[in-house]
Amino acid sequence: MNEALEQAGFRGVRATHFFDSFRGTNKERVAGKYGVRGTNFIGWKQG
Amino acid sequence: MALACPVSLNIDRLKNEIRQTYASVARDPGGDFHFHRGPEYAARALGYDFAELLSLPTVSTAPFAGVGNPFLMDPLPNGATVIDIGSGAGMDCLLAGRRVGPGGSVTGIDMTDEMLDRARSGSAEAGLRQVRFEKGDISRIPIASGTVDVVISNGVFNLAPDKEALFSEIHRVMKRGGRLQFADITVSRDLSEDVRNDIDLWTG
Repeated sequence: MNEALEQAGFRGVRATHFFDSFRGTNKERVAGKYGVRGTNFIGWKQG
Repeated sequence: MALACPVSLNIDRLKNEIRQTYASVARDPGGDFHFHRGPEYAARALGYDFAELLSLPTVSTAPFAGVGNPFLMDPLPNGATVIDIGSGAGMDCLLAGRRVGPGGSVTGIDMTDEMLDRARSGSAEAGLRQVRFEKGDISRIPIASGTVDVVISNGVFNLAPDKEALFSEIHRVMKRGGRLQFADITVSRDLSEDVRNDIDLWTG
């Protein structure tokens, strides 16, 4: 994700928070298998 | 993460499946889906302020299906111009509208009519005139170039079949120095070709 955003012209891209968004759903097992989670990102368009 | 849709996956079919899935969520937020919805989930799992969510119209909060919380990052400046990519029923737009105040503006963009209907009802009920909603495909954002201070989104970019095009389009509408703060699902292991071609995994 970071690399793709930087290729588009964003700078300072980083993940800031992680969430276990699929806990308790019927996709919990597959989410765990592939390491799927919710992630916050922030970045800036170059000034 | 995959940046482009697998060539064997029909993009028109994918968009139609996404539209149908989220139209179903809009019609029946309490239905049987493979992802969480609603304000209780948003507060418990994602760190939203439950009291603030309870103060918003249920028509906007019940179908919420985000995967993170863009409001945990830098605060939205008063008077800012904000867009929400894939705004759904508009919960995040209402929160953003309160933060930017009457001197700012928030535009939610979504391709699902049922979600847009809910979002417009919610903003009217909340009395937030600075919040509006536009129908649009996120691959062609209906916003002029270089006009947006902050772009937010929550659980939508993973639905875009061509992420390079999406990120380029977001970059186009933003002012220089503008900020992108969003939540999305990420995977920490490589996906097999079979999994990448499974349309159910792209629609939820």
